Amino acid sequence: MSRLPLTVGIIANPASGRDVRRLTANAGLFSSTDKVSVIQRLLAAFGATGVERVLMPTDMTGIAAAVRKNSHGRQARGSHWPTLEFLDITLRQSVADTRQAARWMAERGVSLIAVLGGDGTHKAVAAEVGDIPLLTLSTGTNNAFPELREATSAGLAGGLFASGRIPPEIALRRNKRLLVQVPSRGLCEVALVDVAVSSLPFIGARAISRGVDLAEVFVTFAEPQSIGISALCGLWFPVSRQAPGGAWMRLDPQSPEALLVPLAPGLLQGCGVLAAGSLEPGVAHRLCLASGTLALDGEREIEFNARDLPTVTLDAGGPLSIDVHTALAYAARQRLLAIGREHPQHPLNLEPQDTLENKNVDTADH
Amino acid sequence: MSTQLTTEQLLHAYRVMRTIRVFEERLHVEFATGEIPGFVHLYAGEEASAAGVMAHLRDDDCIASNHRGHGHCIAKGVDVYGMMAEIYGKKTGVCQGKGGSMHIADFEKGMLGANGIVGAGAPLVVGAALAARLKGTDSVAVVFFGDGGSNEGAVFEAMNMASVWNLPCLFIAENNGYAEATASNWSVACDHIADRAAGFGMPGVTVDGFDFFAVHEAAGAAVERARAGEGPSLIEVKLTRYYGHFEGDAQTYRAPDEVKYFREHNDCLMQFRDSTTRTAMVDASQLDQIDSEVDLLIENAVRKAKSDPKPSAADLLTDVYVSYP
Repeated sequence: MSRLPLTVGIIANPASGRDVRRLTANAGLFSSTDKVSVIQRLLAAFGATGVERVLMPTDMTGIAAAVRKNSHGRQARGSHWPTLEFLDITLRQSVADTRQAARWMAERGVSLIAVLGGDGTHKAVAAEVGDIPLLTLSTGTNNAFPELREATSAGLAGGLFASGRIPPEIALRRNKRLLVQVPSRGLCEVALVDVAVSSLPFIGARAISRGVDLAEVFVTFAEPQSIGISALCGLWFPVSRQAPGGAWMRLDPQSPEALLVPLAPGLLQGCGVLAAGSLEPGVAHRLCLASGTLALDGEREIEFNARDLPTVTLDAGGPLSIDVHTALAYAARQRLLAIGREHPQHPLNLEPQDTLENKNVDTADH
Repeated sequence: MSTQLTTEQLLHAYRVMRTIRVFEERLHVEFATGEIPGFVHLYAGEEASAAGVMAHLRDDDCIASNHRGHGHCIAKGVDVYGMMAEIYGKKTGVCQGKGGSMHIADFEKGMLGANGIVGAGAPLVVGAALAARLKGTDSVAVVFFGDGGSNEGAVFEAMNMASVWNLPCLFIAENNGYAEATASNWSVACDHIADRAAGFGMPGVTVDGFDFFAVHEAAGAAVERARAGEGPSLIEVKLTRYYGHFEGDAQTYRAPDEVKYFREHNDCLMQFRDSTTRTAMVDASQLDQIDSEVDLLIENAVRKAKSDPKPSAADLLTDVYVSYP
């Protein structure tokens, strides 16, 4: 029986990186062209580390089309991209597309899914794939869950794990999550970083751009250097990714104590602080407001009223993700990227005109 | 910002969207009878865009529309009966029956005109915005174009000039996924129309065009910017049209369940009703009341338009050239 090819998935959210914060703050643009480049850097790294096949969804914004076109080019051949296979999903141009692609990849038994997007995209993928590890890449606006990383090195970490050269106990990290339950409507949603309770009545353009609109925040972790809702806890009551608990903060514009928080790129907002504390896993918390909106991972998603009584619970069973830093430290210790004489990119196998000794190196006059 | 919307403003927004919907659905039926001259391009499904943007505009703010212009006209406050009569080619129409669906204009309402030429509205609003600047007012000018229009050179030139002169302009790209029968992912090279703003040095954002509040919030921020002298913005509103490019279009280029899916899951009126009644700000009975009033308004408009007189041969050359004293 033939062995199944080593397969990983890549999901890029075509919509990330162009929301209203380009108008209300100084957020940058993450164009489709940029996303194509990130995917191609991943493909080069996956090709170099033994990944044989990559699954990608189609999309309405030309990302898959551009990657497919470029897969016939010299760069793709030179860096031995894995075989590409495109999942032809029925596109709804919403988060439903991301979820559908993630489900199909899980059914196809991928070893890893690389995700390009913000916290919201990662959350959508995580909801569908159980314990398939995520390789997280930030292409959103305010991201805390995916770290800002160069895709080539992240891809090397992912590829080395997928091909079995870095053991899971070293490469993988278990993340926390927040469960948001609205029993009256049968809703159970997940957030990976933060849940914000806002008095804004409508979902609207989703982002929260004013400190005074925040009443309460729950976080799985909060790093002082982060940006967005979790920066609030990060700068007042920080909690690490690895800590078992999370944190909460209660806010009120009337409070005498206040904190300056980077809520979005270039947008610093004063937030009145009432109280803060630790969040224990497994304890369901009621909200301090009877009605308003809940922002999950920075985007308003749920409008609730006095009948809904939503709860927020910290849960230790979030998704697995590749710990790029630890994985690559292991790769260095084990010299996992050392190549033998048979490797086509071994310098001794290069054409003579490419090697140093044939270059006209000018060493004079210094 | 959505926090600042009063109940009265919410009811007005609903009335605008509902009026557009009933107006267009009625035209869909009436056009099939053959009684309406010329072409009509229906805006049903896209109502949240017009209502969300126009909620921030005053009569002295100008807009320029395109071939799918009924929604923009209604939201800008053009008289519904006058529009219906115009579409029927009657002398009582807002342009005395000589323009028809694609040339409805009403300068008093700041409606510079629907436009049969794709992308042609953009240079017009740059002119209007320049006029506002030279007159020293804080008026803004807004153009609506589609994904097809976004590929037009005139739109690029207008965006460039608006940015170079830092004019109070909004470029609203209503991306319904199809330029006539060509899907935008086949024909728009950068695919995200909002991304093009970067090339002209202005902010570009994409918003959910099925959600009035999303459009309202983004347009509010862009109008505020423009009035404050901070220059133009591009907003890509992603939405869908419920009918064909024009009435009579068999739409064989769309997936069979595409429109059904959006009607059932994303309809802007349905979402607006759900959201507003969940808050205590609006009661369902108030929305039902508006539904009945709008039905009556459209019924009366159609009935009167049908029985109105046509322009006569003597009207042929009036209103064509400006007469200078």
